[in-house]
Amino acid sequence: MDGRIIFRTFRDGGGEDGMSELVRLTDVTKVYQGGITGALNDVSVAVEKGEFTAIMGPSGSGKSTMLNLVAGVDRPTSGTVVVGGTDLGKLGETGLARFRRDHIGFVFQFFYLLPNLTALENVLIPAQLKGNPAPGRARELLEQLGIADIANRYPARLSGGQQQRVAIARALINKPTLLLADEPTGALDTRSGAQVMELLGGLHRDGQTILLVTHDAKLATRHATRVISVMDGQIVDDARLDGPERTAADVIRVRGEEASR
Amino acid sequence: MLGLLKGERLHGYEVKNRFEAMLGGTWDVNIGQIYTTLQRLERDGLVRPVGARGDRGKLLYELSPDGHKALDEWLAQPDFGPQQLHQDIYVKLLLATRIANGDLKGMLARQKRAYLQRLRDLNRLEETARRDGRIDLARLVRGALLHTEADLKWMDELSSERFGTEGAKTV
Repeated sequence: MDGRIIFRTFRDGGGEDGMSELVRLTDVTKVYQGGITGALNDVSVAVEKGEFTAIMGPSGSGKSTMLNLVAGVDRPTSGTVVVGGTDLGKLGETGLARFRRDHIGFVFQFFYLLPNLTALENVLIPAQLKGNPAPGRARELLEQLGIADIANRYPARLSGGQQQRVAIARALINKPTLLLADEPTGALDTRSGAQVMELLGGLHRDGQTILLVTHDAKLATRHATRVISVMDGQIVDDARLDGPERTAADVIRVRGEEASR
Repeated sequence: MLGLLKGERLHGYEVKNRFEAMLGGTWDVNIGQIYTTLQRLERDGLVRPVGARGDRGKLLYELSPDGHKALDEWLAQPDFGPQQLHQDIYVKLLLATRIANGDLKGMLARQKRAYLQRLRDLNRLEETARRDGRIDLARLVRGALLHTEADLKWMDELSSERFGTEGAKTV
């Protein structure tokens, strides 16, 4: 009963000033039984459509919990999570599953590709679950992510970087309103990690809203326009990074004493 | 400067231009400094003027054999100097633990934000340097990126500490 009507606001989108709110957490608390880390304590935050937001914080700070709540894979102990105008707390399990399928793309640290399916078949799974097989779009995505040539290979024959790109294509196949990425570069070498982040940056420039959880401040600030710092279950800082382009002299000063010889 | 003069003879202002171009604007020198340094190097026998003064009194310099040697030695020597902590935050932190209402948490949060912004600026700079084919400059920026990342980790570490005034008692 929940599907069509509730999700109408997604398509209406828009809003004034070209900005509209896509995610809002209000007084969200998450308590895990047995005191496992990752709890959240009275967190309120909003994310605008089109933003590339990085959530940073030490292990167990609750940053992944935030992502899971927004994805609808976990429910808060108290407080509300609204995504695209939909209060996730009002959805039943079926409604949540549909919400995830239609509106959320999720990329994980360890890819989670099905080993007995080819890259292309993996990308197609969410589309098939939606009853909307889109082989054309899948190939397009593989092309866009620079891995068209490995479409028919099985995950075991792919590098980590390639597997993560397949996982990104899979996350994008249903044109999600929101792309969530939990440490997507965590299992990759520096170079592949940089490439994956480059891809996410490109998607953001094309208008994709992205919420990224990461440890890597260098990579996060390279592409994200906003950095939310989480510590002990609370948001301790929320910084929008922009401003004018700075020259080398504004950012770095080299000094040396012997070097002047 | 010796490095710039290795392999080619340069006027003082050419040294200045090449020096600034090499550093990509991250180290400004005035022409006076250049001439003073050239005179000092000449006095120490590391460079020598070539020929007579040209038009408008310009003088070409080249490396002497001693200059070549000094350059090679300098290049071969690892940088053993003390760690340079030029930024105010180091001193502010010392004060903040002594002064009541130092608002240490706030100070750390604001500093962290500044470091995040700097990381972003450095990322931009590295991209630009690579795009312009300035791999040498990109490497320098990379070094700055990693340093800033360390500063950021330091802020995080400090933020998660419980602050008292223990640090101040020893003085």
